[in-house]
Amino acid sequence: MMTNDEFLTMHEDEKTQLQLERLQSTLNRAYRNVPFHKKRFKELGIDLSEIESLTDLARLPFMDRQDISENYPYNLFAVPLRDIVRIHTSPGTTQNPTVSGYTPQDLSSWQTILARALKISGITPHDILQITLNPGLANWGRDYKYGAEALGASVIPNTPLSLEKKLMVLRDYKTSALISTPASALQLATHIPKKPITTSAFDLKTIILVGESIDKTERKAMEDALNVKIWCHYGLSEVPGPAIAFECEVHEGLHMNEDYFLPEIVDPASGKALPDNQYGELVLTTLATRAFPLIRFRTGDRAKMIKQTCSCGRGLRRIEWRGERTDDLINIDGVKIHKKQIQRSIQAALEFPPEFPPEFPIDTAKFHVKHRDEKKYLEVWIPVNEHIFSDEIKGLEALIQIAENNLYKNIGIPVSIRLKEQRTF
Amino acid sequence: MLRIKNLKCYYGRIMAVKGVSLSVKKGRIVTLIGANGSGKSTILEAICGLLPQWEGEITYEDISLKGFDPPAIVKQGISLVPEGRLVFPPLSVLDNLKLGAYTMYRKRKHAAVKQELENVMSLFPILHKRAKQAAGTLSGGEQQMLAIGRALMSNPRLLLLDEPSMGLAPLIVEKIFQILETLKNKGITILLVEQNAQAALQIADHGYVFETGTVVLQGPASDLLEDQGVKRAYLGKDYGEFYDDK
Repeated sequence: MMTNDEFLTMHEDEKTQLQLERLQSTLNRAYRNVPFHKKRFKELGIDLSEIESLTDLARLPFMDRQDISENYPYNLFAVPLRDIVRIHTSPGTTQNPTVSGYTPQDLSSWQTILARALKISGITPHDILQITLNPGLANWGRDYKYGAEALGASVIPNTPLSLEKKLMVLRDYKTSALISTPASALQLATHIPKKPITTSAFDLKTIILVGESIDKTERKAMEDALNVKIWCHYGLSEVPGPAIAFECEVHEGLHMNEDYFLPEIVDPASGKALPDNQYGELVLTTLATRAFPLIRFRTGDRAKMIKQTCSCGRGLRRIEWRGERTDDLINIDGVKIHKKQIQRSIQAALEFPPEFPPEFPIDTAKFHVKHRDEKKYLEVWIPVNEHIFSDEIKGLEALIQIAENNLYKNIGIPVSIRLKEQRTF
Repeated sequence: MLRIKNLKCYYGRIMAVKGVSLSVKKGRIVTLIGANGSGKSTILEAICGLLPQWEGEITYEDISLKGFDPPAIVKQGISLVPEGRLVFPPLSVLDNLKLGAYTMYRKRKHAAVKQELENVMSLFPILHKRAKQAAGTLSGGEQQMLAIGRALMSNPRLLLLDEPSMGLAPLIVEKIFQILETLKNKGITILLVEQNAQAALQIADHGYVFETGTVVLQGPASDLLEDQGVKRAYLGKDYGEFYDDK
């Protein structure tokens, strides 16, 4: 399986040349085939022949989740639909779901990206790799499956299972590597000692954590509890996908797949480039994507570029990412949700008009990420005043139940909506 | 081996190549494909010093070719097989080949020229057979072989070919492309401009797709062969327009 190892040890000049070539062809393709990009470049008077270096990228406009939403479903595709062989949809963080398309070459690129990240995380054909991700990260589950299969590992694909079943599969199927979010992995770590089986009954050696970051203390505790080595990967749950950056054996930061993505760190307020070792917003440009090119996509993830080269010797630059956001998105178990999404969903279920009634100000709701049985869920507090505490509250509660179910169906994360008296806020 | 960065070529005020970057690694075959007038041949002319007006960087084995005239570029180890062969019709095959070794004659390297002649003749036995025949009497395929042989006479490390399949029957094209693979196996790096994308991508390691003076796609040749847009536009597959049903 090709993991494009050649790029990992490429001389800096050669690497920059390859990135420039890929950037220029990506921009030319986007300009010709995506009216959204063409219009914006024209409006800003951008002549693509003047994009002569990677730093010239800073002259181009940003795009964000709102742009993806406004071009729902296919208007950002750079190839005709008949060239698309897979369509992924994720809940998105705006009013529309995020839809991304893939050509056969895109799928092959993702397989390479995933195979590379997994190989560097120590996955070999001898591994039995179990993928346990929540429904909101189902697309990632598929990508990891193909990447691991390309490496020749035996894959137990992502299937919704109870904790007991997960543990049973982990033990009986001799899983040696697990792909999970930190919250799910912590849940497993907590339950294993309580069961009649012990860690020694497991063959688990590797856990790859995705979706969220984990702090050093929790990581160490999990490694000790399960007697495993942990590797972290960084990705975006909507677009473009998982393992955009990954840890190497040194475990100091995440190497960017720079042959596929060009990272920038910018000041979230001014949009200006920040120097290495300074935290800002991670902005990504795809370099090899055919169907759905992203040009200066604001991820909303807070990160910094690590200036020093990694002692592993690989030429891929590293980012440090602690899971913090530069915007209002809430990250639960790897799935990103916008507060407005929740508000809109509640509003729709309760059949409220666009303007919030004063006795039910959903727009001032508070959001709390909580744990139940070591599993994360979102608790939404909605302030209510004395006018609401009447007979209609029971009816409202039934509707709230519907809103909770809808939200779970749409975003794959349990949500608990609680009406709270305004004075308790 | 060859690196081009932000190349812009002009014909008067018209920009024919609009900021193209590409690279050719040693020992590989790289192909530039695209429609007529997309700027492919202009790039070869710029590399060879045949174009008076260009901006950007062209470096060959880390040496900038800016300001080099064609003979100086040949001396660097770069040789061009031009579009339409451009053999000298009244001259014999042998004399045409000898002209390709012009720079070596000037250095009085007669033994080296003899050696190159033997190499070329062994690569193209038909040229040996027709050595004394006027080049103008050769068939199209034979003339193409002669043009390649003439370019090889300067013992290049980088061979540039402009539309070598033009006007040739499919069987002859196949033969010519087999020869290019043989040259690659002998260690010669090749930059191949072709409209016959199918044939070019089949022997190439890497490819660049040109449209109106820009590169719109680049990647391993095997990937480009499978790309639906490339298939529609350049591989003769009947899929209609390039991006027609958005």
